[in-house]
Amino acid sequence: MATDDLARAIEVALASGLTLGAGLLCVGLALDSSHVLQWGILAFMLTPVARVVVLTVGLLHERDWPFGLLSLFILGVLGVSMLVGARLF
Amino acid sequence: MGEPETLLLVASGAATGFVGALLGLGGGIFLVPLLSLVLQLPIRTAIGASLVSVIATASASTTVNLNRGFVNLRLGVGLEAATSIGGLTGGVLASFLTQRQLFLVFGSTLLVMGMLVLLRSRRRNVIPDDDVEPGPLGGRLQEGEHVYVYRVKRLPFGLGASLAAGAISGLLGVGGGIVTVPALNTFCGIPIRVAAATSAFMIGVTAAASAFIYWHRGDISPAISAAVALGALPAGLLGAHLSERIEPRLLKIVMATVLLLMGVRMGLEGL
Repeated sequence: MATDDLARAIEVALASGLTLGAGLLCVGLALDSSHVLQWGILAFMLTPVARVVVLTVGLLHERDWPFGLLSLFILGVLGVSMLVGARLF
Repeated sequence: MGEPETLLLVASGAATGFVGALLGLGGGIFLVPLLSLVLQLPIRTAIGASLVSVIATASASTTVNLNRGFVNLRLGVGLEAATSIGGLTGGVLASFLTQRQLFLVFGSTLLVMGMLVLLRSRRRNVIPDDDVEPGPLGGRLQEGEHVYVYRVKRLPFGLGASLAAGAISGLLGVGGGIVTVPALNTFCGIPIRVAAATSAFMIGVTAAASAFIYWHRGDISPAISAAVALGALPAGLLGAHLSERIEPRLLKIVMATVLLLMGVRMGLEGL
């Protein structure tokens, strides 16, 4: 996968997450449903995570080991943040 | 929450998202004070809403910037590793400093950065010769007919600034672009547009890492965060589209002004 294709894949991941999140937020506000709003916010919060997943897979696929592993490390930090948050509170 | 309050929150998100995307920031540095000081929201609610809004603004900017080839993916990954560690250690650091000391450190850092950006605003970090090799982390940048080359200098400094930006992000609920963009531009030889685009690319991840903690703590109010983020998203897209039309030098002067004003404001909080 060339870097341009990787950039395109990231763009699609970001745009999909944002569209889904914004759609859910609009529905949530219209229906005055806190539950739907929470799903919309979660979709926004998971958008950068999806972006890191796409980039990690792309870099590893390109056999760019140093940057692929760095990206995997970032994914790990995000995972720790999710787990720490869930455990602490 | 009534309709006027919702509209006010949407407008706050839109205004800060627009300016943020225009400058390559997430906008949190403006949104947190606006929500907490002007709209009188509790600080944790303001930070929670700001984090969601920063994710929306930065991700929207990135979709625009990727198309233009302004985002340096590998540089972003390298620096992001530092910001994510910074974000995790931010909480630990915070326990050693009082809030006043934090404000003073943050305020004085912004003032120094602002002055440096202003002093170096005439300097361009590009090599006009297209044949020059950009090195492993550098790249090429197309502006109209011209293709410029840039190289990354003083990488350890860039990593240090990213580490600090991550820590600040965790502490104050901002993305950290206010630190990374001027640092990358002034010290690491990266053109302002690439610095802004690469920083916006990283900010979403930094803000998400902090947002999960706030989410679990119950500090992300669904209605407030939704209204602010819905304002920030379209405004962020618009700001990112318009940012290309602004001259790099003007971008740096606006950035320096913002840094100096925020530096004074933060510093005064600490005195």
